[in-house]
Amino acid sequence: MLSAQDNEMITRTGPGTPMGEYLRRFWMPALLSEEIAEPDSPPVRVKILNEELIAFRDTNGDVGLIDNNCPHRRASLFFGRNEECGLRCVYHGWKFDTNGDCVDMPSEPAESNFKDKVKVKAYSTEDWGGYIWAYMGPAESMPELPEVGWAMVPESHRKVSRRLQENNFVQGIEGGIDSSHISFLHFGLPPVVRDDPARAGHSLSNIDAAPHFIVKTTDYGFVYGANREAENDSYYWRLTPFMLPFFTVIPGGTGNPDERTYSGHGWVPADDESCWMFTYSWNASRPLNEGEGHGASFLEKEPRTMRAVMNKDNDYGIDREVQRTKTFTGIEAISIQDSGIQESMGAICDRTKEHLGTSDSAVIAMRRMYLQGCRDLLEGKEPFVPKKGSAYRVRSVADVMDKKVTFEETTEKVAVGAT
Amino acid sequence: MLNREENEVIVHTGPGTPMGEVMRRYWLPVLLSWELKEPDCTPVRVKLVGEELIAFKDTDGNIGLLDNYCPHRRASLFFGRNEECGLRCVYHGWKFDVNGNCVDMPSEPAESNFKDKVKITSYPCLDMGGVIWTYMGPPDLQPPPPKFEWTQVPDTHRGVTKVKQEGNWSQALEGGIDSIHATYLHNNDITNAARYEQRATVAHIEVEPTDYGYTYGSVRPVPDLDGNFVRAYHYVMPFTQLRPNQNTVGRGDSPPMVAGHMWVPMDDDNCMVYNWTYTLAPEPLSDELRSKHGPEVYKYIDVENGFRCVWNRDNDYGIDREVQRTKTYTGIESAANLQDRAIQESMGIQYDRSHEHLATTDRAIISARRMLLEAAKIVEDGGSPPGVAGTYYGIRAIERVLPENVRWQDALHEALFEGEGYSPAV
Repeated sequence: MLSAQDNEMITRTGPGTPMGEYLRRFWMPALLSEEIAEPDSPPVRVKILNEELIAFRDTNGDVGLIDNNCPHRRASLFFGRNEECGLRCVYHGWKFDTNGDCVDMPSEPAESNFKDKVKVKAYSTEDWGGYIWAYMGPAESMPELPEVGWAMVPESHRKVSRRLQENNFVQGIEGGIDSSHISFLHFGLPPVVRDDPARAGHSLSNIDAAPHFIVKTTDYGFVYGANREAENDSYYWRLTPFMLPFFTVIPGGTGNPDERTYSGHGWVPADDESCWMFTYSWNASRPLNEGEGHGASFLEKEPRTMRAVMNKDNDYGIDREVQRTKTFTGIEAISIQDSGIQESMGAICDRTKEHLGTSDSAVIAMRRMYLQGCRDLLEGKEPFVPKKGSAYRVRSVADVMDKKVTFEETTEKVAVGAT
Repeated sequence: MLNREENEVIVHTGPGTPMGEVMRRYWLPVLLSWELKEPDCTPVRVKLVGEELIAFKDTDGNIGLLDNYCPHRRASLFFGRNEECGLRCVYHGWKFDVNGNCVDMPSEPAESNFKDKVKITSYPCLDMGGVIWTYMGPPDLQPPPPKFEWTQVPDTHRGVTKVKQEGNWSQALEGGIDSIHATYLHNNDITNAARYEQRATVAHIEVEPTDYGYTYGSVRPVPDLDGNFVRAYHYVMPFTQLRPNQNTVGRGDSPPMVAGHMWVPMDDDNCMVYNWTYTLAPEPLSDELRSKHGPEVYKYIDVENGFRCVWNRDNDYGIDREVQRTKTYTGIESAANLQDRAIQESMGIQYDRSHEHLATTDRAIISARRMLLEAAKIVEDGGSPPGVAGTYYGIRAIERVLPENVRWQDALHEALFEGEGYSPAV
């Protein structure tokens, strides 16, 4: 449970808000590189951290991320002409380069120097790991680019995507670091379950549905482990790294950790009532196969809004007969099960009314980190931000291990290269 | 005219608001009974007096009305699994019974007793007259069930439907209890002068307070007729109207019927309009009439889209200007409250009563507002508002042609208050 005040604090990300200023100290994915693949390609609308921006790739291949509204009479630069190293407003022809400088102002007299006085807001960008990343904070606080797994492999080894979710970003993250919902929300329900006397009336999971969570603070955020009872005096460990400010890597199947394909999500605020779910999958040892990667990257989406076609307007396509007989939710895709349940909490979840249990310890740890970051800023201190890109060289763990292996020992396996 | 403060009192019905507390002292319609088809059926979203709720029928046939939000991490129970006497949240499997008790919490360790400490908001329900009702107020003040005559007749003698209206509940109520508008808004044949409402363009409105609200009459002196055409109605607190529909004055060959409406606040910007009718004759309603007050209206109402009418503000209610010029007063079809809804929604989502100009024909509206504002004070002071006792049980709405010197209050008294229970008559 959070107080109304704390809930407001972690969910509002506009310029000048504590959480907004905290997030502006990190590099953020803004859009996919492929959305502006070619020089002089059409500009793309980007809304992040409550700011409306326009992304474009200029004639030289440089990426610009500038204010949506032309500084002249505030027309949208979305309609702009991307030509000859700049984006030209179609209203009166003012033209801006990727740095935000006004490089042409044909509507003013030739002798005017107004052009040299006008700038449009522009942010630093990097084309990295299939995403265009933006840095929107104070220049002196800029960290190194995070060396996330999917950025450290060749393009053929990764699959990335983004889609719009109609809820506050914190709800997305909280779903991402909540391992215990897997046993319910994403659980299949063969009809035979109802006839199985051993399972009647209680647990629907064939593994322990009430995992014990342990959280450990790290130099990238934290890692949390959920272990479930497994056969032969062992635990089935699932370890999820939470990389500040909002990236996760999902624990997948077991096997050689260097050869596995990993996936995860990051939730970037669009505005306070919607967010972008960025999804990434990668394999360090080989190119991905056709169709390989997280299911969220293969959802059918509405082209303009980038919402999934299964959304709140159609109750995510819930099929009550399937829910009765086959799956826990009756909603088809796992990723839609997640967004459906997260959106159902209301655009901004009212955390004054919740009841957290022991299975919510990672959720609590994440909120503490956010609140600490906000309070530091309010007190004039610089909050903790991983400055070294190498801190992000981590991955998830899913393994059956002897009960003698401690949590500390399991968390070491999160670092890339560990055995 | 109301000042802004009074207007605010009438309009807002969420938890803790003065009018919201009044509403919470009555049985409130939640759904039509058929919306919860059978045990373990699909849960249904409900929005009522500013609260988001989920209705379901459990394995034993008991009706549950719970908070929409699971108390754990606030996921919606709409997606819940309705199974084995409870609604189970699909996020982490927490399960609640119709009384709001948490009966299973599989995501917590077996030794935990957290389950016994967590409850979800739940309201008692009853199924009566084709409608599911709930009581959301203090448990010790729960009133007797809403035994209007229409809820007590056999299902064969009644029709009840509903449609969503996109405006505040109070302007819908005011539109309903305003008798004189029928002469204009509902004139569906501007070339036919035979209708009494058309022959008398003015009506005297007379209001007689009762302990549940008031009865009121519209008295129309009809030219060429030996007497007055009187329609006598009831207003039952807080949002019910009974309207006569008795064929005593040449309305075709339907049986003597009483009709009525309930304008139930969903939130401050929307209400659900329940329309019902029943026959006073011993015979059931004919198939044709039952259809007209039942399935037929759903040709125009999108049940899957929260009972929103397909003709709505987005398409100007389908107004046909050529029909308006030549055939009907509005050019808007008369089905599914369409004309009323169009005009009431056109007043703004929350009608601002500080700018209006009321006339003599608005007496019933003025009385209802006074009564509602008075009720808000009574409840705030710890008292009971009018109409929570069962004194409205036997009332009927009646229309007659009466001699000019006869007061309807006297002549129709017996017919208007026939006493408890259903007794086919006329």
